[in-house]
Amino acid sequence: MKRGIPALLSAAAGIALLTSIAALVGIQPLTFLSSLLDGSVGNLTALEASAVKAIPLCFTALSVIVAFRGGVWNIGAEGQFLAGAIASCFVSLQLTGGLHNQLLALLAGAAGGGLWAAVAAWLKVRRGAPEVLSTILLNFVAIYLLGFLVNGPMREMRGQYPQSDMLEGSSFLPLLHGQLHAGLFILLLSVVAVGLTLSRTRWGLRLRAIGVNVNAARYSGIHVEREIFRAFVFSGALAGLGGSVELLGVTHRLYERFSSGFGYSGIAVALLAQLSPAAALFSAFFFGALRSAGGELQRSQGLSAGIATLSEGVVIVLLLTFGSARLLKSRETMIERGGHS
Amino acid sequence: MTNLLLLLIASATPLLLAVLSELIVERAGLINLGLEGTLLSAAMAGTIALQSSGSLVYAALAAILAGMATCSLFGLLTIFFEADQIVTGTALNLIAIGVTSVIYRARLHAGLHFNVTRDFGDPIEQFLPENLQWIDPVIVFAWIVVPVSFSILLWHTSIGLRLRAAGEYPAALTSVGMSAAGLRWVALLIQGSLAGIAGAYLAINLSAGFAENMTAGRGYIALAIVILGRWSVKGAILGAALFGLTTVLQYHLQASTLGAPYQLMLALPYLLTLVVLAGFAGRVRQPAFLGRALPPGK
Repeated sequence: MKRGIPALLSAAAGIALLTSIAALVGIQPLTFLSSLLDGSVGNLTALEASAVKAIPLCFTALSVIVAFRGGVWNIGAEGQFLAGAIASCFVSLQLTGGLHNQLLALLAGAAGGGLWAAVAAWLKVRRGAPEVLSTILLNFVAIYLLGFLVNGPMREMRGQYPQSDMLEGSSFLPLLHGQLHAGLFILLLSVVAVGLTLSRTRWGLRLRAIGVNVNAARYSGIHVEREIFRAFVFSGALAGLGGSVELLGVTHRLYERFSSGFGYSGIAVALLAQLSPAAALFSAFFFGALRSAGGELQRSQGLSAGIATLSEGVVIVLLLTFGSARLLKSRETMIERGGHS
Repeated sequence: MTNLLLLLIASATPLLLAVLSELIVERAGLINLGLEGTLLSAAMAGTIALQSSGSLVYAALAAILAGMATCSLFGLLTIFFEADQIVTGTALNLIAIGVTSVIYRARLHAGLHFNVTRDFGDPIEQFLPENLQWIDPVIVFAWIVVPVSFSILLWHTSIGLRLRAAGEYPAALTSVGMSAAGLRWVALLIQGSLAGIAGAYLAINLSAGFAENMTAGRGYIALAIVILGRWSVKGAILGAALFGLTTVLQYHLQASTLGAPYQLMLALPYLLTLVVLAGFAGRVRQPAFLGRALPPGK
């Protein structure tokens, strides 16, 4: 619980800073705060919108958590999210709807994200390429691949916009309430799965050991390269599953700007959650609510929706400055970044 | 052909400046992912300064200040607070995107726009031979002045040697009583000013002023080019030119009927960088202390 205090303080300080920035551009603090609340949790519709925005954020955060806990600097959740959505869309368009086809589409999403991460994992483990750079490069490759697909082979039949055909209605994830979709259950399952894997399995223990001190892990007989490869693929699969859920639950089709920075925001969500899977649910809801309120503030007050992005950056900086040293200071494991030094 | 070449050079100019700016900090052991945000905030500062003063000199100064401020924030977090460089850079990008879009919307709301009226012609037309009455000083600066001075500074002066030591083996500096942290700060301020000019050039010369998220990943591309060029000045120039070439070809393919494949071509330089990173095109060796915090005692 003690670890939660810097997180709460950072979140509160972030809101305070946003309020003062809003005041600078001429919005009264009270007006700002009440619109912030109204737009995020003020009524049922806003709550649903916040939750819907929180779902992809939490998936990418889980992806980041698995990677960072293992000392793997996967900055590629954005690309893995897209790769998952692409694979999922491809499979879904080949099939007629129904439950087992939804499952297949979700599996394809996880596989797509995992494969995309496997490229970076292979480059790191076998070729010694630093994953920070390879995952960023792969993000761009994924963005352009998506652009190519929706402009070319996967472009809608009507050929009007650069987007894929709408998925068949029966392959959509069912709606629970308003716009909130059943992806929430998939998310909850994933949170439990990641939490248990990290804290209750031998593999999770080995992974955390690598994250704490890679040399000690190696000397204790852990096959570091193999574990890092697995962590990378698991991490990518979570992001890919997130892309798949976003596709089947919200957008129902692919288009160029499919991910609005969910991958990068996942880092903020994961850090605010202090890399704990369960806490990521709350942290994702916090940032999801800010995104949802940001849209509302843009419509009603003329304040940019970018305020949500700003808050993510500010919270990370506050955590870096005042947060717990264990997670966020430059760690010894970082020395191993780049494989062989 | 000359037009095409000039267009290539001009469109790659901000990129080259960004690459060189990242090259110097990476040589000093810092990997600044926040370059993207630095370019973005400089682009906005330059645009606003040009609008309010009407002077390109003030625009450049404002952009340089904005660039230095962003880089200083990076230095404060990574050098002073010893925070992780990757996470810090990511956070700075999010902040820069957020801050610039808040200011952008606020000004639009107040009825102010971001269009820069230039008296030096259309960004592309100015490079047509009949309009080419003068050579753009920023182009000369980016392609000749900075590369030459970097080559001399980094490899032929003692300060350059020390700067590279901060990225390779900081303990060597400590042993002779030098401050690796101080050298990293110097590299960061150089980066801020170069990236500042790059941002301003992008907004003022290559676009019609500032637009939200207008850097569109150029900061990350610059990071890739530094690797592609293997942390060398020559490599930086060739890499920036290669990316410039794909940009120019993209204009042409976009204009022609071939709609889709240009997206694939845009991905090509990234794939190429991955291949280089994987060591398939010969051995790549990054500065040994790249991305690592300084040992205690600096």
